[in-house]
Amino acid sequence: MSAPSLSQALAAHGVEARVEARGALAVITVPNGVAERLRDAALRRAVVDLAAKHGFTTVALEMASATDERAALSGH
Amino acid sequence: MEPVLTEAARAEAPATDDSPRAADSATSTAREKERRLIAWLAVRSSVILGFSGGVDSAYLACVALEAIGPSRFLAVIGRSPSYPDAQWDAARALAAKFDIPVLEVRTHEMLDPRYVANPSNRCYFCKTELWSVLRAVADERGFDTIIDGTNADDATDWRPGRQAADEHAVSSPLAELGFTKDEIRALSKARGLPTWSQPSSPCLSSRLPYGSAVTIERLRQVERAESALRALGIDGDLRVRHHGDLARVEISADRLDEWLAPPRVHAITAAVREAGFARVAMDLRGFRSGSLNVIAPAGA
Repeated sequence: MSAPSLSQALAAHGVEARVEARGALAVITVPNGVAERLRDAALRRAVVDLAAKHGFTTVALEMASATDERAALSGH
Repeated sequence: MEPVLTEAARAEAPATDDSPRAADSATSTAREKERRLIAWLAVRSSVILGFSGGVDSAYLACVALEAIGPSRFLAVIGRSPSYPDAQWDAARALAAKFDIPVLEVRTHEMLDPRYVANPSNRCYFCKTELWSVLRAVADERGFDTIIDGTNADDATDWRPGRQAADEHAVSSPLAELGFTKDEIRALSKARGLPTWSQPSSPCLSSRLPYGSAVTIERLRQVERAESALRALGIDGDLRVRHHGDLARVEISADRLDEWLAPPRVHAITAAVREAGFARVAMDLRGFRSGSLNVIAPAGA
């Protein structure tokens, strides 16, 4: 399992993401706006498949509150 | 009673055959099993059921009550921190609605360090406690048979609790007579049981990865988070998996597009954080039964 290699694979697939490995669980964090793209089932499947190819049995998208997103936009 | 057609029967039926005859056939299969269940129960002098209020034990309670009557039947709810309050409320409401005789007992698996350590056979220690308590109730009150709601589908799962049931001579008539989950749901619907469409509801400890200690605080975090998500409108399958500071939320895969919309993401995040988790993540594959079994307990 390699978080950096999964991150690179996701980027190659058009999904910019930071990947944190917690055992066989990959937690991915994406910039504002990218999360909404993951509403698409085909893209989710692709992410899950890429994670599996990199040894992760499970992949989860870290979620942000409205406050987090406002803070990110204002640079705090 | 309305016709019963099981999902399994639908799957097995030829694709072009959705005739009433096919439905009648499936109905008779499920109902024949129910007749055999009634006969199985009727020859017991008295029966105690481990009752959680879930799909299987609710159905079994109603059939047992019909088969042997309230003087020879008792449904026993084992209460502990791993049993959600919402499920307890639902179990009691169901018992009241259907005149099911109920006894509530406390179980103390949290005092057993082997259970608290959360090994892969954790359920064995929990069920050992439950069946020991029910055996004592049975002996004290003169009941001769103890049963549970295990069904035929459960035999394919990893169920270390089964060993405890065997050691305490607990019978599983639904499994013994070949009832599938789909058949139990269909027969429950035909009986007007509100549990027919209820999602499966394993105990709260199942949300903690093996090796991550079971504590009351962790169970309460999970319970609060799932309750808050239900309040937001998430129905169907739902699990909040406890990964230490991070909650991994699993919902039905076909609902992910709806719940990944930004306003709902914000609502989920706020609700789960309020329950005591610093971080919240949505599982991108969606709900999977036993998904923690495939993740090492790192970070727990």
